[in-house]
Amino acid sequence: MLILFFIFSICISICIFIAKSKIVNRILFPLFITSQIALSAFSYTHQDIVDSYFFKFDALGILLGAVLTILSLCTYYYSLIYLKRKGVKVKSESQYFAALILFITAMVSSNYTGNIALLWASIEATTLFASILIFHERTKDALEAAWKYLFVSSVGIAIAFIGILFMSIIASNSGLNNLSFDNLASASENMNPIWLKISFLLILTGFSVKISLFPLYAVAIDAKTIAPSPVNALMSTALVNVGFLVIYRSYVIISGTEVMAWAQHVLMLTGIISLIIASIQLTRVKRLKRLYAFSTMEHMGIVFLGLSVGGIGYYAAVLHLIFHSFVKAGLFYQINQIHTLFKSKWIYNFGGFFKLNPFAGLAMLLGLVSITAMPPSGLFVSEFMIFKAMFFGDKFIYAGVSLFFITAILYFFIKNFLQILYAPSQGTIEFQENEPYENVIQILLYSLVIYLGVTPPYIFTDLINAVVSGLN
Amino acid sequence: MVLLFIIFYAVTLIYFALSERVKKFVVLLSLQGFLLFGVVFFSLYKIEIFDFIFILIETILVKAIVIPWFLNKVRKHNNLKKVHEPSVPVFYSIIVVVTSLIFSFLISNYLKDNQIHTLYFTVAFSSVIFGLYFIIIHKNIFSHLVGYIIIENGIFLFSLAVGSVMPLMVNLAILLDVFMGVLVLGTFVNRIGNTFDSIETDNLTKLKD
Repeated sequence: MLILFFIFSICISICIFIAKSKIVNRILFPLFITSQIALSAFSYTHQDIVDSYFFKFDALGILLGAVLTILSLCTYYYSLIYLKRKGVKVKSESQYFAALILFITAMVSSNYTGNIALLWASIEATTLFASILIFHERTKDALEAAWKYLFVSSVGIAIAFIGILFMSIIASNSGLNNLSFDNLASASENMNPIWLKISFLLILTGFSVKISLFPLYAVAIDAKTIAPSPVNALMSTALVNVGFLVIYRSYVIISGTEVMAWAQHVLMLTGIISLIIASIQLTRVKRLKRLYAFSTMEHMGIVFLGLSVGGIGYYAAVLHLIFHSFVKAGLFYQINQIHTLFKSKWIYNFGGFFKLNPFAGLAMLLGLVSITAMPPSGLFVSEFMIFKAMFFGDKFIYAGVSLFFITAILYFFIKNFLQILYAPSQGTIEFQENEPYENVIQILLYSLVIYLGVTPPYIFTDLINAVVSGLN
Repeated sequence: MVLLFIIFYAVTLIYFALSERVKKFVVLLSLQGFLLFGVVFFSLYKIEIFDFIFILIETILVKAIVIPWFLNKVRKHNNLKKVHEPSVPVFYSIIVVVTSLIFSFLISNYLKDNQIHTLYFTVAFSSVIFGLYFIIIHKNIFSHLVGYIIIENGIFLFSLAVGSVMPLMVNLAILLDVFMGVLVLGTFVNRIGNTFDSIETDNLTKLKD
């Protein structure tokens, strides 16, 4: 099934690229999304079944695949608005959609692959297509961001590959003949702890560029400052989820070994350092996209805290990851509307947004409530569970330090949002007609997070429980 | 015979440290490709024939011919002749290469594992370290691309050192990614050269707030 999906996606992408026609784009991209929805449904009905030899529909893949499908659909809608507002020519539009399809396909492959080396290859493919999308506006800044992202990501992922090769040593020693996650996890008890530690560290360091976490976060932040906002919405959510997925799967491999306690400390440290860096960087942020990019860093830091404390923290970490995806995507989708209205990218030129466009202002306010994890946001539930796990796990100092820096981040977030919503406008204003569902979709995404946080359906909780069962 | 190829590979690293001419970088990368071909030819003949042929083609065609040819085109497009910014003197660079070789040798002995071939591991690991060092000391993005390929070559040797168990399909996906990566990076080097009239990294500092 997956092989068919990949062939289909590549064919659609090539057709869009060659045809350079708006009609072809309008027909083929929705067709691609439809096939993605069908794949998500298929994966749910074929849970834990191996597909196309190298792939497996496990619970985490199904969950993140579903998130990616929903966000792909929304991204298509917002991409149409973005391209219309920019007045992009049909050739450039076709290139954009062709690259977007390949980018999404590479993420689908990453979500479902059951082989660590193929996961590496899929993630490297996401880097290539992401860099093409970052460069879409063809400006000097876009060129710089695309180069830095592609180069540092490639070097980082190359370092991660060394970690995978270390895993292959372990696999060979244990008599394994392939690098599937299931095989590695089953043989992990007999693995050499030194190899495991080196391997985990290299994988974490290399893929930190994808998760926007310490140490290789900088280029990801720069890329998100420049990329088109619908692409940003995917890069800050679905792509970050892919990065989480590889760390999570490596974590499952070592969960049954003596190295587990050490790995928990490493994740805790990575999470806290990322929180500290995000809060320091937010003191001098001047662009809205950059504000959101550092917010992603903060939330992934919180996810890592949950992952490191164990118990209910595992459940909360996955929950937080999914909620963050919907909320952050909603925020990024609105950026284009704000930039067009104020004809600027700088926060100090924004102001009075609530008065100028009350419905859009309301959507933004709801976004603020959601992203800062205020009740009734689902993120409040997941963050509460993570800190509960930390306090119950006697991690008082870590919890205290984290809460301090999260409060600082909260302050900078609210300060900037209040400036945009209520302060007198400093720049030029260009009114434009709102697209009919532009803010409705955002409000729906935020409402989805509230619904999933307050009364999560059984399908949802069962899948998350199946995900964390690998660690418990 | 294999040992000779690997020792020659280590020598190419020292030559990288000595060189300042961009053309020499490309020649050395091509030489590394041929040396890796030799290593594969004399050491991997016991594996399955399709895998063996695939890896041979990968080394000779991609690493020794196509990538250096493409880099040469990028070099000519940007009119690159010599790297002018030896921020670290050549003497120190040679010391770094030798130190990385000694360090890698000590690590491979410390890690003692039946699966690891000490000499392969030593040269491969020092190639990765040197690739990173090469990127750090140079201030133009073409040299950064060369450094990235040195790292990739080191990782390829590393995969031979540990006798990895990658199936052919996975190997193909990895090769395609790396190859595409180099092509796209090379294209970006040209774009940056055209847009900024220079490929120095000093031009690429506009993104911070």
